[in-house]
Amino acid sequence: MNVLSTIVGVVIPYVAAFVFVVGVLYRVFFWSKTVVPFKITTTSGQQKSLPWLKRTWMDRFDSPYTNWETAVRMLMEIFLFRSLWKNVRYELPSQTAVNTKWLWLFALTFHWSLLIVLIRHFRFFLDPVPPFVNLIQSLDGFIEVHTDFFQPHVVHIMITGLTLLIALLYLLYRRLFFPRERTLSLPSDYLALLLLLGVVITGLLMRYLIPVDVAHIKELAQGLLVFNPPTDLELHWLFMLHLLFVSSLLAYFPFSKLMHAAGILFSPTRNMPNNNRAVRHINPWNYPVKGIDWDEFYEDFKEDMEELEQMGYVVKPEEV
Amino acid sequence: MQEEKFEEKERFEIVQRFPSWKEILKPSTEMRKGYYSYAATLRDQEYLNLPFPREWSPLDEDWKLPPNWKEILINKMDELRKKYRSFQVFMDICVRCGACADKCHYYIGTGDPKNMPVVRGELLRTIYRKYFTKAGKIFGEWAGARELTEDVIKEWYIYYFQCSECRRCSVFCPYGIDTAEITMLARELLNAIGVSQRFTLISAAACVRTGNHLGLSPGGVVNSIKYAVDDIKDITGIDVEVPVNKKGAEILFVTPSGDYFAQPHWFTFIGYLMVFHELGLDYTFSTYAAEGGNFGFFHSFEVAKKINQKIYKEAKRLGVKWILGGECGHMWRVKHQYMATYADETYEEALKVLEEPVNPVTGTLFENATSTKMVHILEFLADVLKHKKLKIDKSRNDHLVVTFHDSCNIARGMGLFEEPRFVIKSVCNHYYDMPDHAIREKSYCCGSGAGLLADELMELRMRGGMPRAMAVKYVHEKYGVNHVAAACAIDRAAFPTLLQYWKLPVQMGGVTELVANAMVMKGEKERDTDLRGNPLGEYLEVEV
Repeated sequence: MNVLSTIVGVVIPYVAAFVFVVGVLYRVFFWSKTVVPFKITTTSGQQKSLPWLKRTWMDRFDSPYTNWETAVRMLMEIFLFRSLWKNVRYELPSQTAVNTKWLWLFALTFHWSLLIVLIRHFRFFLDPVPPFVNLIQSLDGFIEVHTDFFQPHVVHIMITGLTLLIALLYLLYRRLFFPRERTLSLPSDYLALLLLLGVVITGLLMRYLIPVDVAHIKELAQGLLVFNPPTDLELHWLFMLHLLFVSSLLAYFPFSKLMHAAGILFSPTRNMPNNNRAVRHINPWNYPVKGIDWDEFYEDFKEDMEELEQMGYVVKPEEV
Repeated sequence: MQEEKFEEKERFEIVQRFPSWKEILKPSTEMRKGYYSYAATLRDQEYLNLPFPREWSPLDEDWKLPPNWKEILINKMDELRKKYRSFQVFMDICVRCGACADKCHYYIGTGDPKNMPVVRGELLRTIYRKYFTKAGKIFGEWAGARELTEDVIKEWYIYYFQCSECRRCSVFCPYGIDTAEITMLARELLNAIGVSQRFTLISAAACVRTGNHLGLSPGGVVNSIKYAVDDIKDITGIDVEVPVNKKGAEILFVTPSGDYFAQPHWFTFIGYLMVFHELGLDYTFSTYAAEGGNFGFFHSFEVAKKINQKIYKEAKRLGVKWILGGECGHMWRVKHQYMATYADETYEEALKVLEEPVNPVTGTLFENATSTKMVHILEFLADVLKHKKLKIDKSRNDHLVVTFHDSCNIARGMGLFEEPRFVIKSVCNHYYDMPDHAIREKSYCCGSGAGLLADELMELRMRGGMPRAMAVKYVHEKYGVNHVAAACAIDRAAFPTLLQYWKLPVQMGGVTELVANAMVMKGEKERDTDLRGNPLGEYLEVEV
């Protein structure tokens, strides 16, 4: 039994997974315990008012009135990055704004690629491999390359693995070289990107350049899942590196901005319908605040009020 | 403190600065003329029972904060993050993608990195991390955390009063992080240690005492209405009678107090009275609830509530069936999203008399206002005009080439986009929209909202209004637009100065003014002037 392999392959992943699960649950639990005193939807489209007023489909989702419209708004935010799609860039000295979709494009590419890569990883954990995982795997890898590298064989190029890398490099590039983004980036922003890059680069290396024993890894993954890890571990150094990056990312997740993945579901400007005047929102901690009431007001301005009474509560133009 | 006057410069430069992240963590405390607000007066602080009332000035070295201010602030922050999910979530999930950065008109106009919405949020987030997160406690500035010092308070005072709570950034944020919400809570925090801004509190205190922001006594309100009906008689020859504090009226009409005498609000004000008269509406003004706006909203929960309760109380006392609200921006953010929630038993009391709002002229039920019972004047007018209940002579507005400025709060806090456009197009022949990036949910602020209409902030206001002014310039040059319509009292106050400053010969007015000007009233004399007293159909060039 190899001590290093056991620590990196079993102990650290378990600790990281534990921190991840408990941490995320704790954060989500804490968020759900905080209260929402006001319904503060950001309305990005025409409200529902008069029945004949033009209200497009997008208006219904950008300014949702019903719960299902709100749900579609949330789904569009999560899966299509609707708000980023609206992005514009203000240009000086022309003093106008132009549409810009680069951030939307690369952010969306990154997140979708990551999702597909994660789904592809199911095949390490599940036996038999579910059909949809195989389907995604074959669609993702439809490009075949014949190579003589090491020995003549066919390599399936997994598109999402490469787009994941490209998108991450772009996201890092803009933080490093766009002046505004460099100013507003904190070390933690780079840390998240570097951890992800570590995961992706080690993963790509294993796939294309430095092959590792996949059967062995599958054995480990399935063992970890049922809390019965293999005892005769002998892991490749590159795989250990990959696993270390993944574990760090998992353990870092609950303490970082990466919690935006769960947080977006709690964002009150997006997850509430714009039906404020039809459905009253109750503030659970509302408390009375004493203001001036009518009687005090009347006392303060008695003369004025009596004069108004003499006028019969009506203001008329001067008689000419 | 000496009051300094705004010097109009022939040109000013937008210097974009890009300091390092470490530089950003250091508080900027320089009180630059035109960029910082005066401190609240002792009188207003005392009148509103605010914590730690005292005379102080932002220019003083020592702000005379209470000795345990730090403890108070941290405790308040802990309280707020549990009371407002928005606060807790917005502190936690910002990824600093930068999508919001150049969406802020103050950032565009000043180039000051701390005016980027993300950094404005970071001003607070850095403190949150230091005192409420493990990473911040352990790693300090490397985790983006910093110590709470008096300099941080000064920085907050500068930058949270350089945000007009317009919510433009929140439209573009992929998580909907709303800097207006962060600004509101930061101001709440500042209030807890006795740091408040003068302009908001003058208006708020006046509103609590007299029922309106301008501090008009009931007699003053009545006098304004008197002048208005005199004006209407001059223009149309018609005797308009305006009910005030009339019990048993069907509708309570509430409008921002700027309408009672400011220019060009006035023409919208007489517009309301003319339209209501022509429709034969059974309505009333109130001297107790003479104000629709709520400057307390720019200060703190408690002051906002103090002002908010009047309308429902008055609705109950007068026994009205529903409430109609005039053209105003932040007033409608409050009325739409906050009024019924703020109100506690006053709302339940008012429900005893209030009914679902039905337009007595057309029979339309305003379905979207069945709970709050408050309808926007432009929803009301759109309904009236759709049913052709007013006789309109569009040619009376032919001298105007109109564009509509979507005021922040009714755009992003309500979604009122089509109603004003329908109303304007129903009464004007020449209407052109500004470019897409400057209207609807992407609308630019006038630069003077949320308590920033103060004179001492003039340079900030002119810079912040630049993107809006440039969009007006575009349609002015392309289509000859000479009139900006906006449904907001702050806009009507801010635009004339702004357009003048940017040398745009364009006038400004409300939407109802256009309706009333085009309206042919029953029994009117031969009209020879418009509501502004100019010869009918003639555009009086604006001097720039």
